[in-house]
Amino acid sequence: MNFSSTQPIKLKNVSTIYEGEKIPAIKDVNLIISRGEMVTIIGPNGAGKTTLLETINGLLPHTAGKVEVLGKDIKKYGSYIRRRTGYVPQEITFAEATPFLVEDVILMGRFGKIGLFKSPTRSDYEKVREVMRLIGIQDLAKKPIGKLSGGQVQKVMIARALAKEPELLLLDEPFSNLDLNALSDISRKISYLHTIFNLTTLMVIHNVASIPPSCNRAILINQGRIVEDNLSGKRLNFSHLKMLYRVNL
Amino acid sequence: MILLPLNIITTTLIGASLAGVACSLIGVFVVRMKLSSLGFCMSHAAFAGAALGLALSFNPLVMAMIFSLTSAFLLGPVAEKAKLHPDVILGVMFSLMLALGLIFLSLTPGTAMSSSAMGILWGSVLGISKTELIQLGGLTGIVVGLIVLFSKEFQAIMFSRKLAEASGINTKPFFYIILFLTGITIALTLKLIGGLLIFALVVNPASTVYQFFYDIKKIILISPLVGVGYCMVGILVSLLFDFPVGSSIAIVSSICFGISVVFSPKRKRG
Ligand SMILES: Nc1ncnc2c1ncn2[C@@H]1O[C@H](COP(=O)(O)OP(=O)(O)O)[C@@H](O)[C@H]1O
Ligand SMILES: [Mg+2]
Repeated sequence: MNFSSTQPIKLKNVSTIYEGEKIPAIKDVNLIISRGEMVTIIGPNGAGKTTLLETINGLLPHTAGKVEVLGKDIKKYGSYIRRRTGYVPQEITFAEATPFLVEDVILMGRFGKIGLFKSPTRSDYEKVREVMRLIGIQDLAKKPIGKLSGGQVQKVMIARALAKEPELLLLDEPFSNLDLNALSDISRKISYLHTIFNLTTLMVIHNVASIPPSCNRAILINQGRIVEDNLSGKRLNFSHLKMLYRVNL
Repeated sequence: MILLPLNIITTTLIGASLAGVACSLIGVFVVRMKLSSLGFCMSHAAFAGAALGLALSFNPLVMAMIFSLTSAFLLGPVAEKAKLHPDVILGVMFSLMLALGLIFLSLTPGTAMSSSAMGILWGSVLGISKTELIQLGGLTGIVVGLIVLFSKEFQAIMFSRKLAEASGINTKPFFYIILFLTGITIALTLKLIGGLLIFALVVNPASTVYQFFYDIKKIILISPLVGVGYCMVGILVSLLFDFPVGSSIAIVSSICFGISVVFSPKRKRG
């Protein structure tokens, strides 16, 4: 058995410093995530959650340690890994006049996977329709991306990440703009995909109440360090959160 | 009104059409990726290069290419990082290049001065030779070919470079292909439109079309047609009023862009 494929994410003493900064945004992070886990990341603003996700998919180059994703070194196999990793960035906005339609935005999620010198085929378009149905945004297909609400954009970005049929899914506060109905709906669907396809999922969550039902592990991060990691699968307790946010819940 | 032999008119129109197609296709990228100031710099560098070529009696086209490509690859990394406020650096570069170009022109030996120098400044679409026509045809073919060949990658990058990276596309080579094509296109069309105004033909057609469509595929298809249209009307105006060709194309395309902003459906309600 291929050892690496059972641990799609392996971080060893990883630090990431932004260009022009002195202090690392994440520091000495050690993290192993096994295949099929659904892990949520929680922490206050500026804790380093986004930095952690983008260090994992290599959009940000780490400055120390070793990052191995899907069994490969991110420094050498960045595009290979990103072709197989779905990423939903945190609150992304598009100018109103942005000249791209929703269905094209979702299709473009597959472009890396399709590869150079090849055109999208019928099965690519079929996949796009399938994820739009799954997320419930078929009616937005022909709309310009710049004319959507924040919540609609989030759904499109989730559909885009799923369209490439990822082996690993990274979501950065994917629910922050969704109303309660949409939140529980999408959260259930992500859990469904996780369960059915054994899809390894790492999700930054803004609101503890929106942790999806199939989540088996939560990581607390503060000031660039992992401060709690409940491998045992028990749900978060309030004392952790109190410690983290220094508030009474 | 100036009357010209038919074969000169034919060469002129074909040359201008090719320039219109190449420049406005490049413009779709330049406008969307906010590379205008970089392109502006490159066109002035090309102008300086061509002027140096004239002064040294060395092929101005080759010099224009060397200058515009060098500036592209020096400034590319600056433009890539929005953090560094490229506008300031580019603004400095562009005035430097213009100043150099004018000095080189003033050094040009008297005989060569007159028409070639004026051509580099203001454009001389009427003097286009067969070789230049073939070069332009080749260039336009390469630009269209690359856009077709890498249409997925270019589309994804124009949408969002970060998201393109996240989908697994290595965006850097494509970014530099765009800069390279911009540099070559500017250098090759310099003589037709003139170094000071070539950028109007890059930016104006695409900017006009962006006013009307939300679908990048349509913008890529229609911009070259609009570019050719601007060139044709520009040449007509230039012949009718005996204006320099570059100025005529710049004026025509700017007026049309202005009108398109007013009538843009993107700014309408209901
Ligand atoms: N582009 C950047 N350049 C410099 N510092 C940054 C940049 N983005 C984030 N940071 C800093 O890195 C730290 C972690 O940020 P981030 O990962 O975005 O936090 P979170 O997602 O947990 O809110 C913060 O202190 C933030 O100020
Ligand atoms: Mg964040």
